[in-house]
Amino acid sequence: MADQDAAAEIGSDQPPAETSTAMRVLVISVAVLAVLLLGAAGGLLLGLPGGRGAPASNSVDVGFAQDMSVHHRQAVQMAGWARDHSTDQAVRQIAFDIETSQLGQVGRMEGWLGLWDKPELPASGKYMKWMTGPEAVAHGHGATNPADPGVDVMPGMYTQQEWQRLRSLSGRELDVAFLQLMLRHHQGGTQMMEYAAKYATNPQVKNLAQSMLLSQGKETQTLRTLLTARGGQPLPPPS
Amino acid sequence: MASGKNSKQARRNASAARAAAAIKKPKPWGLVAALVAIVVFAGGVFGFVYFQQADKQAKLDALAPFTPSQSNQDPSKQIKGVVFKDYKPQSHVSPADRVAYDQSPAFGGPHDGYWAACMGNVYERPVRTENMVHSLEHGAVWIAYHPDKVKDDDLDALKKRVVNQQFIMMSPYPTLDSAVSLQSWGRQLKVDSADDERIDQFIHALRRNQYTYPELNASCDALGPGAFDPDNPPPFDATPPGPDAKPMNYEPPAPPPSGQPGQPQPQPQPGSGG
Repeated sequence: MADQDAAAEIGSDQPPAETSTAMRVLVISVAVLAVLLLGAAGGLLLGLPGGRGAPASNSVDVGFAQDMSVHHRQAVQMAGWARDHSTDQAVRQIAFDIETSQLGQVGRMEGWLGLWDKPELPASGKYMKWMTGPEAVAHGHGATNPADPGVDVMPGMYTQQEWQRLRSLSGRELDVAFLQLMLRHHQGGTQMMEYAAKYATNPQVKNLAQSMLLSQGKETQTLRTLLTARGGQPLPPPS
Repeated sequence: MASGKNSKQARRNASAARAAAAIKKPKPWGLVAALVAIVVFAGGVFGFVYFQQADKQAKLDALAPFTPSQSNQDPSKQIKGVVFKDYKPQSHVSPADRVAYDQSPAFGGPHDGYWAACMGNVYERPVRTENMVHSLEHGAVWIAYHPDKVKDDDLDALKKRVVNQQFIMMSPYPTLDSAVSLQSWGRQLKVDSADDERIDQFIHALRRNQYTYPELNASCDALGPGAFDPDNPPPFDATPPGPDAKPMNYEPPAPPPSGQPGQPQPQPQPGSGG
């Protein structure tokens, strides 16, 4: 057969010289190393945000779910108070809407964190550490200081003093204070939602962030209208 | 056949070329260069990503062993000095009741139906234990401190762990037998100094840890006056609980039995309303 002829001819080649053996060892070693490193790099990339499975602890997805839960929970607290203590039906209605929808969203995000095997609260008490892009830096939030990333207070959050004052009010004063603080709270959450809508890798997280932007955007207008109608002025928006 | 002759010719030529090569084989520099390029590229990607990730994680590494996860459900087991007790949840007493707690400060057992607000609340005065214990059931950590032993900078250091945080609260506890005592449902850690590194470990391990608190996703909000008022919380009672206090194994009375199935419920008499 022709193939056997060819094989016989190759077999008749002279054995390689010693330098050739060294070269072959070198080539094989480098090839093996290349394959191993490619595998390691590939494995590492799969484990990064954007890879399959649970997102990393420092990912946008995990950070957004943790921090937005904290942000939402404060709105839920204030909305529940307004629903219980306001006597204005329009205020009670929007408070009820905010309370129930945001509490539901907190449950959704905490459910994800559970499935991802991540803690419900951000570690070490700092917020917005996961916002490392130019948008966050321009706003002065997020991981601006590499040595100590994150912020102590998220934008739009009300202080204990503001919360205490609100609880001491009633009637029109309570309604105005609630609408003011909730309007600022909504404005303050926008930055994180926009960031997550852009950079989250999990489509469910992205979708929730987009949905929040849409519904809270509309709600912000309603809050402003209700506030103006009750003779109140919006507070300075959060930076 | 012409084609067979041609292929035989080609093999002969190739054979001659190989023989020549065997005599003076050129070094495969192209192959070496290609492989080196791959190694440099893959090594670069690996090194960059690895060190970037490692850098980001470094800050959290100190607390990493205390992060709750499926494989490490109760990281407080690794903290020296934590006391564990099993308590049955959901036993509620009324605002007028006392509970004869088995620990001081208590960290489980029957409690008031109204929980203390635990949305980062810093209580300046001692608060009734029956309310504080209910917050533990909701996943909160309670920092109790001795008002004579923890002051100024130490007090500020504790407050910093509470303000702007959720599912955590702190209050003075005048009869405390240590400087600081941390409570989570069924877990307690007493330390002699506000600088103790185990304070952060305890908080990190147990605050809203879904594996260790009984009532998942329960709230830290309060209903205000008439229920639990964070601005005017019921005060701590340092006196002994007394014989009327509810015992640790207290079971709230069952609701009054409703009518038997098939039996008509008593109807309000016409005209008797008032």
